[in-house]
Amino acid sequence: MAGETRWPLGMTQSLGFGLLQAALLLAVAPLLRGVIKKMKAAFQARQGPPLLQGYYDLGKLLRKEPVRSETASWVFVAGPRVYFATAVAVTMLIPVLFAGAPLEEAGGILVLVGLLALGRFALAIASLDTGSPFGGMGASREMTVAALAEPALMLGLFSVALWGGSTSLGELARATSVRGPSGHPSELLAAAALFIVLLAEAGRVPVDNPATHLELTMIHEAMVLEYSGPDLALVEWASALKELVFMTLLVNLFLPLGLAASADPAAVAVSGALYVGKILVLAVAVTLVESTNAKLRFFRVPELMAVSLGLGFLALAIRFL
Amino acid sequence: MSPDLVILCAAGMLVTAYLMVGQKALFVAIRLYGLQSILLGVVAVAMALTDRRPHLLESAALTIGLKGLFIPWFLMRTIDRIGIHREIEPLVNTPSSLLICLGLTVAGYRVSTGMAQGGEGAAHHVIGVSLSMLLMGLFLMVTRRKAVTQILALLTIENAVFLVALGATSGMPLVVELGISFDVIVAVLVLGILVRRIVDRFESMDVSQLSKLKG
Repeated sequence: MAGETRWPLGMTQSLGFGLLQAALLLAVAPLLRGVIKKMKAAFQARQGPPLLQGYYDLGKLLRKEPVRSETASWVFVAGPRVYFATAVAVTMLIPVLFAGAPLEEAGGILVLVGLLALGRFALAIASLDTGSPFGGMGASREMTVAALAEPALMLGLFSVALWGGSTSLGELARATSVRGPSGHPSELLAAAALFIVLLAEAGRVPVDNPATHLELTMIHEAMVLEYSGPDLALVEWASALKELVFMTLLVNLFLPLGLAASADPAAVAVSGALYVGKILVLAVAVTLVESTNAKLRFFRVPELMAVSLGLGFLALAIRFL
Repeated sequence: MSPDLVILCAAGMLVTAYLMVGQKALFVAIRLYGLQSILLGVVAVAMALTDRRPHLLESAALTIGLKGLFIPWFLMRTIDRIGIHREIEPLVNTPSSLLICLGLTVAGYRVSTGMAQGGEGAAHHVIGVSLSMLLMGLFLMVTRRKAVTQILALLTIENAVFLVALGATSGMPLVVELGISFDVIVAVLVLGILVRRIVDRFESMDVSQLSKLKG
């Protein structure tokens, strides 16, 4: 990118920048999961898997041959691919290191939520395709949680949008990094709501347990139980990516400290270091929640999501009062 | 900076009150109350430093020490002794409670704009948050059955009143502050003993049992 970057970028520029950003996040996402696993293990006085275990797993899965049920149709094959593609597309809509998003002309909050919903829908319908009881159960649970998390996510993002004066995430990052946090209670309420959404969407402990395959409790794992080889690798990679996207959104919208305004190397380095720091702090928070809470019974999850929805609604409502 | 910190902490108190409504484990509720009191203490410190009201520092220390640390510890000990850890059946279920609390918060905020200093700025948010918390505390008190939750609701109301006092006035004299803190401690101690008596007698912490005749 040129030194005197102005938003919005030109067509080729934004495409190239978008691909770079997507590649960066794709490369980092498995590491984030490894870091959280390592911290969680440290909490339990275990050594835990190596930090790079996520990459080894992905490498192993990608080399294997996919085993698919004879009854599976093209929907089953398309599911993970659509899920992965939407996750990658979402990375281009969010500000990561710069105070702007590569494809912000293409859409903002609504497109982000819509793309995530599309990916989830593709995966859920694919897991129904083979007719395995686990797939159906997982899909129904995933959709139950998602139906409650999605409005909370939208309300939380809208309350930020209301202050930033735009629904484009890049625009919002610019507005907040110039004007600083709004100093309004709604900010904290929205952040709390989005944190609960993050736990739900990433399948973290009070909602789902990413570490087990216990049939009574699993949500995401039940849905992808039928997948193997590269198909599974795509699903896992996309899930890790989605988690990183949510964390990035949370830190960059509520703490837009040091986002680089141009491609000046020094500014990018500062912004990169701050970004890593902020994500690490958030990862510690997630680890703390995971380590000190028990997984909720599935029928209690809607109560947690109701808290999140309520906080999101309040965040929006008190902007007007 | 400081008005931002005050607003942030006040919003944090609202979040803790909201989470308190949203879950059932008693020890989490107690910890949330502790956190809420510490945030209240931070609000008092921030106000003391910005408005040069040093006597608020003493109330802040009292708040953090007594309400943030001592009372949570005492209540934890009480529920440990009696071995009851959950609010089983509130009179209104959790999602409805949360919805009602949403309404209460909006009402509290709306009412705060009618107060003399509630029109704008940090005071608006502080008074809005505290009125909302007051209403939520009252709501918790009438809909929960467990005695410990009712104590926590009472304490939440007390925190809310203190926050209103911080936002709307220049704070109370130290003597009044000491008197209130002492009252709160005595109330909690007495209520703690009362809870244990109720549990001894009825083998339950459910206060609705108290209305039954027992011969």
